[in-house]
Amino acid sequence: MRSDMLTSILNDLNGTSADIEATGIISTDGLMMASALPANLDEDRVGAMSAAMLSLGDRTAQELARGTLEQVLIKGDRGYVLMTHAGDEAVLTVLAKPNAKLGLIFLDVKRAASSISEVL
Amino acid sequence: MAHDFEQLTQYARSFTHLTSEDEALLKEVGATITPHLKSITESFYIQLGLIPETQPFLEGRVDSLKAMHTQWLESLFTTEFNASYTEHMYKVGSVHVQVQLPVEFMSGGMTLINDQLIPLIINLFGEDTDKCAKILSAINSATGFSLLTMQQSYQEASIAEELEKFLKISGMSRVLFSNLAKAYNN
Repeated sequence: MRSDMLTSILNDLNGTSADIEATGIISTDGLMMASALPANLDEDRVGAMSAAMLSLGDRTAQELARGTLEQVLIKGDRGYVLMTHAGDEAVLTVLAKPNAKLGLIFLDVKRAASSISEVL
Repeated sequence: MAHDFEQLTQYARSFTHLTSEDEALLKEVGATITPHLKSITESFYIQLGLIPETQPFLEGRVDSLKAMHTQWLESLFTTEFNASYTEHMYKVGSVHVQVQLPVEFMSGGMTLINDQLIPLIINLFGEDTDKCAKILSAINSATGFSLLTMQQSYQEASIAEELEKFLKISGMSRVLFSNLAKAYNN
């Protein structure tokens, strides 16, 4: 039931922008809870890497006196990886195209993270 | 971390060529050698005392260290070099890590011990050169076996210590680290 609700949130998020290529909801232990990933991406690796990056982001923000972490953004020449907390126990990861309009994506991701937090 | 001490025993044997004949020989000559081991320990700690870097690890503990050292030396001539002995030496290595003993102290220490034992064996058994050579070879294998098993623990404990530090710095839980490692197992 909760799994269906999480998948539905991801489907809605994916539908908000053609720039979003993949999404996943991951436990803070790095295990995938729900995902909409292309077949060439390994669910376990995306999950564990996302949670690890967010954990490092938390520590970096804390260590460098940047306050509470809001998101981790990685930019490569083939696109973006955006990770954000979805409540205390989950991570929302979004993969976006290189020319993505980040402002809109940030807004939609923030809303989705809030919805995920409520479900969990 | 769970360890297969039987496997580590075989691994140590493969390097040191410690045979059952060696073990039998060590037991046979043990009674002759054992009365001299206290003086070997004394000489060993005198030698250690000449190395300034060892001082912080010796101060205030020399007597208890000497007692343990003599006990270990004696065990070379009584013990079975099996999984139980390997586990014991592995734990000795872990204790060395806990007191942050530099890794070279163990191999350096074993060299000093062999330096002390060689003239003793030649003095006691030198008239029978064949037997003397076999005893020296057996002792070399036994001390090598002990060193290898201690260093194995040292290596793993050092890695574990580094991992602990990494987890603390990165904020990652052990479960997350384990899941990350599992994700890259294939």
